[in-house]
Amino acid sequence: MSVGPDQMLFPARGVPAEGPDDGEDASARGYRPAPPEDIYFPAAPMLDMAFQLLAFFVLTFRVPTAETHLDLLLPTTPAALPTASRGLARPTSSPLVDTDLENDLIVRAEADELGDLKSLRLGEAEIPSLDALGVRLKRYIELLGNRPLRVRLIADDRLLYEPAARIVAICSAAGVATVRLSHPGASP
Amino acid sequence: MPRSSSSQSKVLTPNLTPMLDMVLQLITFFMMLVHFGSRLEGVNRGVRLPVAPAALPGAGMTVDQLSAGLDARGNLLVGDETLDPQAAAAWWKRQADARRAGLELLEEPGTPDSAFAESGDLPTVVVLRADRSASYGSVRKTLAEAQSRGFAHFSLVVLKREEP
Repeated sequence: MSVGPDQMLFPARGVPAEGPDDGEDASARGYRPAPPEDIYFPAAPMLDMAFQLLAFFVLTFRVPTAETHLDLLLPTTPAALPTASRGLARPTSSPLVDTDLENDLIVRAEADELGDLKSLRLGEAEIPSLDALGVRLKRYIELLGNRPLRVRLIADDRLLYEPAARIVAICSAAGVATVRLSHPGASP
Repeated sequence: MPRSSSSQSKVLTPNLTPMLDMVLQLITFFMMLVHFGSRLEGVNRGVRLPVAPAALPGAGMTVDQLSAGLDARGNLLVGDETLDPQAAAAWWKRQADARRAGLELLEEPGTPDSAFAESGDLPTVVVLRADRSASYGSVRKTLAEAQSRGFAHFSLVVLKREEP
C-alpha cells in the first residue's frame, strides 16, 4: 500500500497544506512538486554480506568435470535370445517398422598388435568408421520401432579400452538398450 | 590566518552501486554453477580415463554405488589399495555378500516379490573408472567377475572431452 501526499500526516515539501481557507486548487496556483531529496542508501552492509557470499561460493567452486557415464545392464540371468525366423508371414502395423528384424546384433572389433582398432563389423557387414556404426545403428533402431535393440560387443582382449569405450558410447548414443561385452570365442 | 577551504573535511560518499551490481552478478554466476554433494568417488590420479565424445550425459544419482578403478595393467584399484586378480575376486565377493545381507535384513518376510528376490541381481551400481590404456579383456573380466557375484548394473566412467 502506498501512501500518497494526500494521506500524509504532515505536509510534504512542495505540497501545499490544505486548510479551510485554502480554497484554490493547487494546480491552479501553479505549484509543482519539488525535486526529491537524495536518499542515502547505506550499501556497505549489503556489500559486506555480498562479499561474504561471494567468498563462500568462490571457495566451494569446482570446475565442472567432463566426466560422464556409460550405463551397462548386465543381468546375471540374461534374457533368452530370440529363435531364428521361420519365414512365417506376419502383418506389419507400420510400413516403416520391420518386425522380422532381429533385435540382437553383434558388433565385432578386431585389434592390431598395438591394441588399436583394426576393423569393425556390424553383423557381417564391414563398417568403415565409428561414426558409420552410429548411423547404421540409428537407422536399424528406426526400423525396429518400439522393440529394444540389444548389442553384443565381441572384441579381441588385447584391444585397448579406449576404442572399446568409444564403441559402447556410440551404441548408447544411438539408442541401443543394452550392450553386452563378450570375448572373441563367445558363440554368437 | 584563515584556513583554506580545501583543507576542510568532507564526507566522501563513494557510489557503491556499480560494485554491488558486479558482486551480485558474480554471486549469481557461482550459485548457478554450484554443485553440492558431488564428490567423485574412486578418483585415482593414476587412472587416465578414456575419451568418448559420443557419450551422453549419465543417469542421475543412485542409492547405492560401489566405486572401483582399473589401472593400465588391469589391476583393481579400491581406495588406496591395488588388488591382484585373486584379491579382487575376494573383494567382489565380500562386497556382494555384505550388500546381500543388508538387503535380506531390509526385506520384510511377506514380500518376496521384490526385484532382488526375483532375479537375485543386486541393485548396486558398480562405477568403474578404468584406465584408457587397459585392455578390453581386463575390463571385460572385471565386469564378469562382478557379474558372477550378483552385480548387474554397471557404469563406465569416460571423458566427454580431453581435460587439460
